[in-house]
Amino acid sequence: MAVTRSNILNNATARQSYVRGVLLLKNEFTGPTTVSLGIPGPSQPVSTWDLFVVWHHTAMMTMTPPSQISRNAAHRGPVFPAWHRFMLYQLELNLRRVLHDNSFGLPYWDWAADGDLPAGQQIQSKVWAADCMGGSGSPIATGPFVFDPANAQSFRVRLVANSAEQLVQTNRGLRRSLASINGLPTKTQTAAAIAITPYDASPWSVSSSGFRNRAEGWQGADAPALHNRVHVWIGGDMSPSTSPNDPVFYLNHCNVDRIWERWMTEHGRNYLPPDSAPASLKGHRLHDQLASLVSAPMKPADTLDMTSIDQYDSLSV
Amino acid sequence: MTSPSDLHSPTAQSVATYVNRNAARVKKTLAGMAHHGPSVSVRQTDYKGHHIEIRTTYEITVDRMPVMGQVLVTDEGQVQCHALPNYTFLSALDLVKSLIDAFPEDFERSAKGHPGGMSSMVVRKKSKARRTKDKTGALARRKMSKRGTKKRAAKKSATHKRK
Repeated sequence: MAVTRSNILNNATARQSYVRGVLLLKNEFTGPTTVSLGIPGPSQPVSTWDLFVVWHHTAMMTMTPPSQISRNAAHRGPVFPAWHRFMLYQLELNLRRVLHDNSFGLPYWDWAADGDLPAGQQIQSKVWAADCMGGSGSPIATGPFVFDPANAQSFRVRLVANSAEQLVQTNRGLRRSLASINGLPTKTQTAAAIAITPYDASPWSVSSSGFRNRAEGWQGADAPALHNRVHVWIGGDMSPSTSPNDPVFYLNHCNVDRIWERWMTEHGRNYLPPDSAPASLKGHRLHDQLASLVSAPMKPADTLDMTSIDQYDSLSV
Repeated sequence: MTSPSDLHSPTAQSVATYVNRNAARVKKTLAGMAHHGPSVSVRQTDYKGHHIEIRTTYEITVDRMPVMGQVLVTDEGQVQCHALPNYTFLSALDLVKSLIDAFPEDFERSAKGHPGGMSSMVVRKKSKARRTKDKTGALARRKMSKRGTKKRAAKKSATHKRK
């Protein structure tokens, strides 16, 4: 039976479970260390939560193909929604495991609902309340993910990318700079993205004209738009390739996934490019393996219909 | 979906097993990031039977120290970088300003007026050599010195042969 993913502002149980699960994964150490993963500095155990940070960073630094410097194994190309659906699924499964709750579904943040508010009111959204994700700051000072140096169990950022794109060790609180850009995406903008066909198009990049590129946020007069704009609006640790450090990362991507699901209900579960596409698109074709770290890999084809596993409480985006 | 059962029901053990299995690939990717030089963007298109190719290289410094991240320009002429993967800029100057905002620690030495020391990569390399002088810095220098001696010897030998 499929699990329901719900709006984090409408489901207190999902909200509380998510927070509890995040803190459990942040403090679970299954064996991998910074040394075993080639991260500079002293050997430190890497938590399951931080393994997802490493996974995202590594996928982003894997160029597809290696001869260019734009499209990578998870972004800036056709695989963007499929790869993140795979990542969300693996996080959800691990949250269910540590919560001992097989009915848990990842919550999403319907950011376009906040984007329809006047810009000055968007920062007042309940998602930033102390009983949800906490607020802004460097480091944040409210909410369940506040850093307390005296409490080893408190949330902290341990791995972060620097300006040279290298993964380095740190030990500090989570940073956010809410409203770093003027306004979140709006419902009008998500509706415009839903109307776009095909799914993706040549040159399969940030210059493409399809739905994928609009949803990712590279195209449109308002670029950085939709997904990208949410990262930029939040700022702080949502800015670099280690953005899965912030639990809000998954609320954003769960909403992007919901937008994709809505697009597929309207236009069919279509994916491009096909397997016959040239080798330069390896990693992005329908049956290519998605870059993985914590599990066996999936393929884009595996992710097109996961309604027997996960469903959304609403596809009104 | 045909896949291993632990894809759908992971355990702590299965997570560790897959991470260990993929560790070599992660290491290789991370090591590769430490060695890239100035980035080159290549834009290509065909127009009226002509093939156009534009290669753009960014060499950026802040306080005379190089910015090590990859910077690229899109077909639309927008400037982007891997360090801020969701951002897009009309100007490379705005991009660098955003890098300074997003990575204050990487730039703080130069902001305080210290000579040099811009990117954390450069700063860390220098401080590591200082901290572990006996183990790493001195050893590396000795190795380099040996290589130099060998090269000089080889050159001398080649000169003798030519004679």
